[in-house]
Amino acid sequence: MKQKINEEVSVVMYYSAKKKHAQPHLLHWQNRDYNVGKIGYEHSYMEGRDKQHIFEFVDTEKSLWFRLRLDSGNLHWILEAVHDGNPN
Amino acid sequence: MEIPINNNEPLVMHIDLNSCYAIIEQQANELIRNKAVGIAAYDSPGGFIIASSYEARKYGIKLMRNKEARQILPNIIIMTPDPEKYFDAHRRFRRVLERYTSDVTPKSIDEFVVDFRGSRAIQDGKSLVDIGMQIKKDIKESLGEYVTVNIGIAPNRFLAKVAAGMDKPDGLDVIRGEDIMNIYGQLALTDLPGINFRYQARLNIAGIFKPLDFLDAPMPKLKKEVFKSVVGYYWYLRLRGYEVDGEKFKTKSFGNDYAVGDKTSDRDKVNKLIMKLCEKTGRRLRKHDYEAHGIQMSIAFENGAWWGQSKRTHAPIYSTQDIYFSCIRLIRRLEYPARVTKLSISVFDVAPATPRQLGFFDGTRMDTKSLAIAADEINDRYGEYTVVPATMANMQDTIIKRVPFGSVRDI
Repeated sequence: MKQKINEEVSVVMYYSAKKKHAQPHLLHWQNRDYNVGKIGYEHSYMEGRDKQHIFEFVDTEKSLWFRLRLDSGNLHWILEAVHDGNPN
Repeated sequence: MEIPINNNEPLVMHIDLNSCYAIIEQQANELIRNKAVGIAAYDSPGGFIIASSYEARKYGIKLMRNKEARQILPNIIIMTPDPEKYFDAHRRFRRVLERYTSDVTPKSIDEFVVDFRGSRAIQDGKSLVDIGMQIKKDIKESLGEYVTVNIGIAPNRFLAKVAAGMDKPDGLDVIRGEDIMNIYGQLALTDLPGINFRYQARLNIAGIFKPLDFLDAPMPKLKKEVFKSVVGYYWYLRLRGYEVDGEKFKTKSFGNDYAVGDKTSDRDKVNKLIMKLCEKTGRRLRKHDYEAHGIQMSIAFENGAWWGQSKRTHAPIYSTQDIYFSCIRLIRRLEYPARVTKLSISVFDVAPATPRQLGFFDGTRMDTKSLAIAADEINDRYGEYTVVPATMANMQDTIIKRVPFGSVRDI
């Protein structure tokens, strides 16, 4: 079931100079660390002047799917939603 | 005069993304891959499924209400659409195709036609089948490993679309002139793109029951008896593999509609919804730098009644206020026979808004054009709906962004 969260969360981000690409590496939510697995889909859109980067992925333990947003205006990370892969 | 089947080399490619919205959600979330997924405008029982994954389609779940889908498959995962993500996928899809030729035409958010006639790739002696296989690889690289496409190659757009539908999912089929009879022999009339049940009935009345009958029908019969217009001639050519669908149409109108979730006959509430539809329509009109000279509005009611009216205007329609007050004038005398279930607004007869004609009220309080430009600048800079007409206050979550059917001009 998908659940809307919309909470600011702590994130460790990794930038590869070789690939010229940045992505979240570790996410801390509800007193637990989640290692970011392979990014399923990444896109961005403009919210006014500020670009919003969306990363959707499943953690390496395959426990949950996360939708994480990086607001490039203030560099805050927002966990927008989670999904456990089960029907609603 | 009888025209033979087009035996030219098949150089038109039709590509469509399989179960577009569902497969992109499955790409984004590997926990729902290989599961039945439905994408519905709302996740409530009355919400309507607009796309479903192949796993759901196996059970016949296509266009239906969520509650009906759950009756068939209680374990179906219903999700609401994520338009920005689908727009991004459309743009990536397009960029992949533009690596091969510049003649790329989007038919909808998940369908493209690529015309390879005269392209560099063909001049270099590459086979279109090899190019198609490479496109499949490139799309996986660009959109993700779970995403598959159907590719059809034929001498015209119509047959390329037929070919793309032959081997779903993840197919690649070619129709050459010499294959046409054989292919038509395996299809029903409604398998042909553009033939719906209404058209089928019309063809049946004329004694045409199968695609082969359609192909055999003489041109005068199609033109004078079946379609009673030049459309019959176009079908005669289309079925034989000649291109008649390559015309690019100019923008004629902008519009938005809304299925009212919380049905109401309260005029103030309806007017608020109308204002928001007008703002959305106005934003799109102005983004494309057009003004309009006509307004059309329709309302559907709970008791099945329907009302619609349109009016041409002398003064150009440009600002949200112009659209809103034109709508209000149209519905001024309308008595609602029941609760409102659907609202549609569109502006038509559009023309470029620049160079801007000097107005009598420019620079005064009556200058809605300058106000609209200023409000748009603020909304572009600080985000949509930062500045809105007072009628639209507190409506951020009403009439949200939706995925467009057909037109992709706003992506």
